[in-house]
Amino acid sequence: MDAQIVELYTDADMERMDRRVRRWRIGLGSLAAAALAVCVTLAATADTLTAQRMELAAVAVSTLAGWIVLYGAMFVVSPVRREMAHAAMLRREERQRFPGEIAVTGQRVAIRRSVVTRRVEVTGEEGVSRLLVSESQAAALAAARPIALYACHGYVAAYEVDA
Amino acid sequence: MRVLKNIFSQLHTFVLWLLASILFWGWIFTFVTDTVPAKKVTVYCRVPAVEDTAMAAALEEDMPEGLRMVQVHTFDYVMFGTDAFDRGDVFIVPASEDADFVKDLLPLEEGQGGVKVYDAATGEGAATGYIQYGDEDYYMYLGSGSVHLDDGAALAVARQILAMD
Repeated sequence: MDAQIVELYTDADMERMDRRVRRWRIGLGSLAAAALAVCVTLAATADTLTAQRMELAAVAVSTLAGWIVLYGAMFVVSPVRREMAHAAMLRREERQRFPGEIAVTGQRVAIRRSVVTRRVEVTGEEGVSRLLVSESQAAALAAARPIALYACHGYVAAYEVDA
Repeated sequence: MRVLKNIFSQLHTFVLWLLASILFWGWIFTFVTDTVPAKKVTVYCRVPAVEDTAMAAALEEDMPEGLRMVQVHTFDYVMFGTDAFDRGDVFIVPASEDADFVKDLLPLEEGQGGVKVYDAATGEGAATGYIQYGDEDYYMYLGSGSVHLDDGAALAVARQILAMD
């Protein structure tokens, strides 16, 4: 039976993540610029009678827009960028093959300033090897029923399935 | 649910942004709505309450030439320890306290005392639509440290107040 090696991150995945980051950056940048323009307009058109209301409006606009930008940057753009860096490392570095019985455990391992991962155990002839797979790829890996994993620095980069 | 969880995990960042936003725009609007003493006339009222913004806006409708704005404050404003009081242009003080301030104040016209702006007995006075006077007479003076004594702007604003309903 032929074996087939499946990459966790393909060129198409890299392109998709890159597009997503660019779209979000443009969106968040536009929102920030629009909010700033509104606030500057409010400040420029304020007079003695309207200053307090204008200030309140400027604080509300800049706060809400800032919160949206912060949320997008911290919880959308940043995780995708970290995953892109992780994927680039997996695609670049030398890999080691781990054949055996593979189990994706529920154990979640968050790596500071990097991706969130799940623990993967490979039970082979040389004992149990403990590896990590990016959380976004864990379900796909478990469903694929691989016969071997390819990993670099302890992170799963690709898997092998019976074709 | 996930959004809320994310927000609470970085709550300090969101709260910091709110504070920064309040401080920054507060500073900007203070800058926008203030100017150097030479370009504004400041009125201080030793009264229980004054609609400062509305009164200032009304006075600005007919501002003396060369001014950018008129500001109206109660005396509480001076408690923040600024030297603003020394540079005040027009003062409205109660009769019971004018002796406390008389060394810092000047009459509107030489040789006279303060101009009575509120008569407690009749309840009539100047700018009663904006100023809530106490239960005594009130007098108006010019500030001895005003930079608008020579150009007449302080006197012009004082007369505007006297003519206000």
